[in-house]
Amino acid sequence: MNLRQMEKTPKIGFELAGIPIQFDVTVMFTTIVTCALVLILAIAAARRRSLVPKGLQNAVEMLIEFTQGIVRSNLEGKTAERFYGFAFTLFLFIFIANQLGLMFNVVAEYHDPIPSLHIEAVHEEGHEAGGGEEHNAYAWWKSPTADINVTISMALAITLVAHFLGIRKSAKHYVSHYFQPYWWMFPIHLVDEVAKPVTHGMRLWANIFAGEILIMVLLRGSWYLTGAPLIVWLAYSVLVGLIQAYVFTVLAMVYMAQKIAYD
Amino acid sequence: MDLNILAGALLLAFAAITGGIGNALVFSRYLDGVVRQPEVQRTLFAQTFIGIALVEALPIIAVAFGIMLVLGII
Repeated sequence: MNLRQMEKTPKIGFELAGIPIQFDVTVMFTTIVTCALVLILAIAAARRRSLVPKGLQNAVEMLIEFTQGIVRSNLEGKTAERFYGFAFTLFLFIFIANQLGLMFNVVAEYHDPIPSLHIEAVHEEGHEAGGGEEHNAYAWWKSPTADINVTISMALAITLVAHFLGIRKSAKHYVSHYFQPYWWMFPIHLVDEVAKPVTHGMRLWANIFAGEILIMVLLRGSWYLTGAPLIVWLAYSVLVGLIQAYVFTVLAMVYMAQKIAYD
Repeated sequence: MDLNILAGALLLAFAAITGGIGNALVFSRYLDGVVRQPEVQRTLFAQTFIGIALVEALPIIAVAFGIMLVLGII
């Protein structure tokens, strides 16, 4: 399988006033799978609750207390309570989304084009690599967070909510904090506001994307040569997924706290 | 096309160098702290990994773009 074809995904789309708008079918599908998994996990943990938690309920309660700790370290009191559910959902969604692409991979090969899914026939440039590769491989399974659109839109949504909350709390303070501590720091604040969502989204995407590419590269090698590195890297990827979910949640809370936590 | 691959390779190389140095700085301070006060190892460990994730952000973004350049995706 050509590495370059790994990033190809089936897409559906339409044209709006000459601008092509495309939706990634794979990412939409895996996003829904992630949502369903989060929901199933939450429902399964909340069934037959007992005062002394054990098993799954215990694990999820630990996770809830963990994310509540993240919120409490940035916000305080009544404000923090409003963000408990949000932080928990965000953490669980990103964590499960990061692990989805690690478990297995579904790649379908097409010999005929399917126009409705934007699956193309074999290109001329595809031939030059080898004689036998007459097919087109499309990925039907990958981590939703390995797609830059998903992570950037999550970061953008968090930034919008942060700005909205800041304006709602006090418009005067919101405007004036751009000129703190000196008025000429305004351009620096503007760069900061743009850089925050961009790096916030790109950090998560690049980590998961680079991890999946490296798994693909290691899978192509012989088992004797790359087997041990593959196992090590898979184990490390689970840790990376956990850390990135944690960092994304922490930063989301920090960015919101910057706008609304002041006295 | 060849220049694209060279650019991607340079991105990967510099990401490796800078990421290595940055992570080493964070982790060496972590080890210093643990040697001085072994009882705070638990909290320091979590803090260290946040630090590493923050330090690694730009190198890993460079790695992603480098891979995309080398593979010819962009």
